[in-house]
Amino acid sequence: MKESETSIASAAITIFFTGCIIIAHDISKDLRQSLASLTGHHWISVSLIAIVLFVLFSGLLMGSKSLRKSLRVYNVRLWSNALMVVTLIMIVGTLAELITHFLAD
Amino acid sequence: MLLAIGGIALAYERWVGHALIAIVSLVLMIYTLTTGAMLKGRIKKSSGNLFKFHKRSGIYFGSFILGSFIYGLWIRLQHGESILSSVHGKLGLIILLIVILQLVPSLVLKNRATYRRLHKIMGYTLAPIMIIDAGWGLHNGVIGGTKSLILLHSVSGGLSALVLVWIIMETLYPTDRSLARARIASYLAAFLITAGCWIAGGYNYLTVYSSKVKAVILAGPHPWAHEVVMEAKEHIFIFLPIIAFALSITLSILDKDAFMDDAKFRRALTMTACLALFMVLLMFLMGAIISNAGHTVTEALK
Repeated sequence: MKESETSIASAAITIFFTGCIIIAHDISKDLRQSLASLTGHHWISVSLIAIVLFVLFSGLLMGSKSLRKSLRVYNVRLWSNALMVVTLIMIVGTLAELITHFLAD
Repeated sequence: MLLAIGGIALAYERWVGHALIAIVSLVLMIYTLTTGAMLKGRIKKSSGNLFKFHKRSGIYFGSFILGSFIYGLWIRLQHGESILSSVHGKLGLIILLIVILQLVPSLVLKNRATYRRLHKIMGYTLAPIMIIDAGWGLHNGVIGGTKSLILLHSVSGGLSALVLVWIIMETLYPTDRSLARARIASYLAAFLITAGCWIAGGYNYLTVYSSKVKAVILAGPHPWAHEVVMEAKEHIFIFLPIIAFALSITLSILDKDAFMDDAKFRRALTMTACLALFMVLLMFLMGAIISNAGHTVTEALK
């Protein structure tokens, strides 16, 4: 039963890393270029990275009891709050970066 | 009620008024479905006279549907077109007929026991038809045409919003069968968001949007619609399938006792579903802004 919380925790971690990649690839043209060269389009690469990260973190958290314990994955309230906060911060961060970029041009 | 509909109609002569009335109808539909489900014990009852609330919201919903239909008819007649010449109009007529079949016998019949089953089936059938018609109408209004891939994208978004509301209701008002129903709803949400929104929307973004629409928006008066809104939408969207899958996996692993006894867990699930719903609505808003920016330039070029 206790593994049921792991998906919410892995979603929060995945969104954090994916959000960082999104903001970084909007700032750095080199990163955008290398992401585009991976699959042909940067959007496809970011999508695939998000899927891989989610599967990876879900697998890690489901497989390792000690990792679940150290990250306090059993505290579902903490992780659902973290998921909400991380998602909102990444949305605002992406928008802020794009608005700044647009105004600077 | 009539004053409200008339006021909206006068304030917005174009399709926006029709859309506003339809949005109010959608909210009333969800409320009516929820009180109906509470009356039958499918979701946990809240306090108050539920039958009175259900009846009243049903009447309001019917009035708004009638108002929305008449308004749509009026718009079509202004263009000299028949309401049945479009799929949106045909679905609107079907909705109106179902609403009449729901309301009239419920108000007239004294013994409603034999009618209840049909009333329930028609009520639940109405929800997806309403969402599909609202998505179709919004698409017609914003883009002024029907491009099947975008239509699929919009309708999937609308249906996923409805399914997420269903999950929220099941987690807020749990009964014995709530977990099983919430699981089905979460699988539907994951499928609609992945296949209908992510894959169909992504394919359209990489093909039609990149080659045709993007250049049109950038050349128009609102280039920010692409540079800020579209750029943000294409990336922020990636979070949504992850949240939908997390919700779906959590519900499929979770056992019934934990779902029924652990209020904190249910609250976490409600919050996650609310977050997904917020993101679906945000994507709708962003999509409407982008489509409108493209449509403005296309209209100006005509």
